[in-house]
Amino acid sequence: MAVETKTIAAAPGDTEMLISGSEACAEALALADIDVVTAYPIRPYDTVMQAIAKKIANGKLVAEYIVAEGEHSQFEIVKHASTVGARVFCGSSGVGWMYAMECLTVTPPLRVPMVAMVGNRALDDPGAFGVEHNDALVVRDLGWMLIWVDTAQEMLDTALLAYRIAEDRRVFLPIAISADGAFLTHSQALVQVPTKAKVDRFLPKYDRGDLQLHPDNPITVAPQANEDWVIEIRRQNNEAMTRAYTVIEEAYADFRKVFGRGPDNPWFEEYMTADAEVILMGMGTISLPLKVGIRNMRAQGKKVGLIRPRWFRPFPTEKMVAALSRASAIGVIDRDYSFGSPFGSGVVANEVRAALYNADKRPPLLSFIGGLGGREVTLEDVYKTADMCFAAATAGKSDLKTHWLGVRE
Amino acid sequence: MAHFTCEVVYRGIFQKNLASRICRGIVLSARKAGRWGIAFGRYGDSPQRNGIPAKDFAIVADSQEELEQNMARYEPQEVDVTICVDDTLSKGVESWAWYGLQPINRLTLPNGTLLMTSLQPAEDLLKDIHKKDAPYALTLLRAKASFSGLWVYREDHTEARILGALSRIKPDFLSLDAVCQAIEEAEWGSDLKVASARKAHERLETRLVNVTEGNPETPFSFEKPKWWEMREGVSIPAIPVGKPMEGGKGYVPERNPYFKKFTSRTMRPVIDFDKCVKCTLCWLQCPDSCFDVTPDDLYDANMDACCGCGVCEAVCPAKECITMVSEAAFDDNASQWEMWRKDKDTYRTWLTATVSDTAHVVRSHGFRFRGQYEQELRQDLDTGGIEITTGIPGENAAAKTA
Amino acid sequence: MAEVFTNATQVLQGFKGVKKVSVEEYFTSGHRTCQGCESALVMRLMIKAAGPRTIVLGATGCMYVANTTYYTTPWVVPWMHTQLGSSGSAALGTAAGLKALMKKGRMKAEPINVIAFCGDGGGADMGLGAISATLTHKEYNCLILLYDNESYANTDIQASGSTPYGANTTFSPPGSVKRIMHNRWKKNTAGMLAAGHPECRYVATVDASYAVDMMNKVRKALSIGGPTFIHSFDPCPKGWDFDPMLSHELGELAVETGIFPLYEVEDGVVRHYGKTRAIAEGRPRKPVREYLLKQGRFAHFTEEDLDYFQAKVDEMWEKWEIPGVIPFWKEKRPAVPMP
Repeated sequence: MAVETKTIAAAPGDTEMLISGSEACAEALALADIDVVTAYPIRPYDTVMQAIAKKIANGKLVAEYIVAEGEHSQFEIVKHASTVGARVFCGSSGVGWMYAMECLTVTPPLRVPMVAMVGNRALDDPGAFGVEHNDALVVRDLGWMLIWVDTAQEMLDTALLAYRIAEDRRVFLPIAISADGAFLTHSQALVQVPTKAKVDRFLPKYDRGDLQLHPDNPITVAPQANEDWVIEIRRQNNEAMTRAYTVIEEAYADFRKVFGRGPDNPWFEEYMTADAEVILMGMGTISLPLKVGIRNMRAQGKKVGLIRPRWFRPFPTEKMVAALSRASAIGVIDRDYSFGSPFGSGVVANEVRAALYNADKRPPLLSFIGGLGGREVTLEDVYKTADMCFAAATAGKSDLKTHWLGVRE
Repeated sequence: MAHFTCEVVYRGIFQKNLASRICRGIVLSARKAGRWGIAFGRYGDSPQRNGIPAKDFAIVADSQEELEQNMARYEPQEVDVTICVDDTLSKGVESWAWYGLQPINRLTLPNGTLLMTSLQPAEDLLKDIHKKDAPYALTLLRAKASFSGLWVYREDHTEARILGALSRIKPDFLSLDAVCQAIEEAEWGSDLKVASARKAHERLETRLVNVTEGNPETPFSFEKPKWWEMREGVSIPAIPVGKPMEGGKGYVPERNPYFKKFTSRTMRPVIDFDKCVKCTLCWLQCPDSCFDVTPDDLYDANMDACCGCGVCEAVCPAKECITMVSEAAFDDNASQWEMWRKDKDTYRTWLTATVSDTAHVVRSHGFRFRGQYEQELRQDLDTGGIEITTGIPGENAAAKTA
Repeated sequence: MAEVFTNATQVLQGFKGVKKVSVEEYFTSGHRTCQGCESALVMRLMIKAAGPRTIVLGATGCMYVANTTYYTTPWVVPWMHTQLGSSGSAALGTAAGLKALMKKGRMKAEPINVIAFCGDGGGADMGLGAISATLTHKEYNCLILLYDNESYANTDIQASGSTPYGANTTFSPPGSVKRIMHNRWKKNTAGMLAAGHPECRYVATVDASYAVDMMNKVRKALSIGGPTFIHSFDPCPKGWDFDPMLSHELGELAVETGIFPLYEVEDGVVRHYGKTRAIAEGRPRKPVREYLLKQGRFAHFTEEDLDYFQAKVDEMWEKWEIPGVIPFWKEKRPAVPMP
């Protein structure tokens, strides 16, 4: 059974710290020696900005720390800092991310390798602090690379990987790291923090090259284009996203060499899938109740496994299809909604359906929506989900409905 | 099954309302015979800029199905009639960077018609209009270019006269009666305008142009790079810094090679270098950086870059030093300073002739003071032409001789 | 000391007279602006004053769309687009990036001018908050230049917060029932920003019809250090509907009628300059009608409209505590009835 170990052996020189996911991100940012960071308050992501502020105040990091007057400016400021060659960090949550929307759309065509943390949060109205993935997902079509993490350790490691990948000249695209509000941003875990020496070996300096805005490299950036040009620019963007597949594989391979940890498969985590008849899927911390449930069901002899997607953009189509084709039924639990979508399913379920469309073996797929607004996904939810999948596996087809989990009915 | 496609080539903003009236008039006239039609502007031209060439189109067809072939497009590939409402556009059209210089008759079908408002003889116009590899008819409506601004329309009947002319060119699509009825019903229509349309219908001058006639120059054009040849990050190299003109003296700025702007020009400054007091104001106040600084500290307007706004004339303190002259008076973009330097006497003769030719110095961009058009319209409507004093009334007009 | 060091600015002495203006062009021919575009002139003079070691950021608007038609440019210096409401953020981000890299020794330390420009839509309307924020970040050297052509002139001439009373725009067309659709008085942007940002060292209003003055204000703004703001008054032949030849003249008339005052606020001290100084000292102003009736956008004005406009301009000079700068009145302001 392919069980990925989650207990990280402290590599020589690492220090173990009890910190939140946001603080783990801040540790990575200090190690990456970022140059410009912009802050604006909104729960839950802003805990990372509080942590960075402390580091700068205590001389652990030298960077321009700018308190913006809104998320729109927050993202524009770092966008421009990045074009002159500065390594930048930004982030937001929920409607704050929406407020910055215009500025999120311009970073990919400008090829700005910004790294942002999204503390996933339900969108207004009503105002709510709990987790939903719709905020980060709104940029899924725009050229942002999107990754979901499920532990503080993975947050730290991914932040370092993100700069390495985004700042690769073949890519030069922004990355948003999604961390579930509360479960990651506000709870502390034991994290292995690597040495600066190791990070310097892994992460080269950001070199903007011939795209740097500087009097020594006089260029004009983003003039008004008419219909004679735009589709070529989009085509270039698409090429950069395509090149990211290779760059991501390379980066994870180097990461394992340098830090002595990290997954063999960058794209998604597989847990007990080798012989699984039913594979459950979910992004972010939903993996934790799923793993517990799966272990319990395994004890009863039920062959269940988990696939937890990390990278949603670029989407690992072939690898995902290969992994899923082994199962007899798939259950996707979305922590997001897409009202009026095919089958009323969430975003992940329909992406997976699309990926499987031309697969030789196409197992029945059941779609679930759960955990919205930060509602906990319970073990009962997990068992119910699995049982419905087993039924579908026996029947050889799914009901093509979308099932809401944990709703009072 | 038949359809009729027509383009109106005009000066951005100055003739925006005029072009839209013409195209709407065509569709509404054709509708009288039960035909279908659409009128639209070339989206690439918007937002329009004062003087920068723009195009509107009108397409009418027997059936909606036939019309659909021509819908959802920026620009038709060919037109039965090209209407040009300012004869200085006969030198060609450069509306956007990378468009290159597009001959005024580029879209005109073989044996189609180029209808132009002009007071020039056809032979003079054909010095500017580029050669075409097929014969076509050059049809002239005797009128000066009708210019006005966005908010104050000059009711000089040009739209009505164009429609009247079209009913002569394409009677099978637009009968004179249909046109007159459409004009009558338009919110800008009037009996007087109907009369103007009928008069224009009578008074057209047509001349066939064969393949050997026209301006032989090859218009400049560009090939656009492939997607993988373009720089990433929507970036492009800046323009290099300029250089001294010669012997380390003077200054010539580098200029954008892909948009020259001179086809936006309806007038150009003619400079009497002997009267220049070297105050630098024409150079300093030029929005288009079109003045080269000569080694002897004179200012030579580069005719590839000048769009003819006339600010240089307006700010020049020297009497009769700079005079704006209609673009129609010139055949090339050669440097005036070089000409002056080569042979001062020849230049003097040329200069005197050019600036005293009232047919050419009387030209205006448009609105200058409230009531201006009403004043001007009191003069002869029939030619559609309006006498404009040279210089700015109440400003420097006194210093000018028309 | 790093802080002082990265805060150093270029020392740009004012041009001593029109003949001393530098000949080099850093914004050159081949932009797609209107004939007689005063804002294009402002761009040219602005960068002529700033010189080659400058980065320019341009917010969406005429000077973006008309100036830079992809895949070409009229700019000689590095130039980059920024979003409509982002001139403040663009200036701040660029300055912060340069400062960080120089401080960390990753970029050759030298004073580089950072200028972000915006139109009245981007500056006086949408981008006001970001500009205000930037003017409080005193450790970053940057200039925000607002070119005010008094409408969203790029999109089709729509009314902005900087459009004068009664003007004809596509959002305020004079109609048979409502003659005046735009009845708001123009925002006092420069005065508001000068009054609202106690640590901003320099705010000025300029008019390119007075080119040398205008360029020298730009030079002072870049030399003095910290974030600074300049409000430029740009006659727009397209949207205001006048002969392009008159751009320069209308720029002068706006000042001579007292409609657009020229002043600078340097380290807290207000100083009227040019013809405005004479007006502030009581020299008679030209009647506003001389300015208004030269423009098609006011062609629908009645005598009452002209009088109302004149009365409001008179207030600026006769009633305001600081004439033409801050609308704080000496006595309680009476309501002036609109025609």
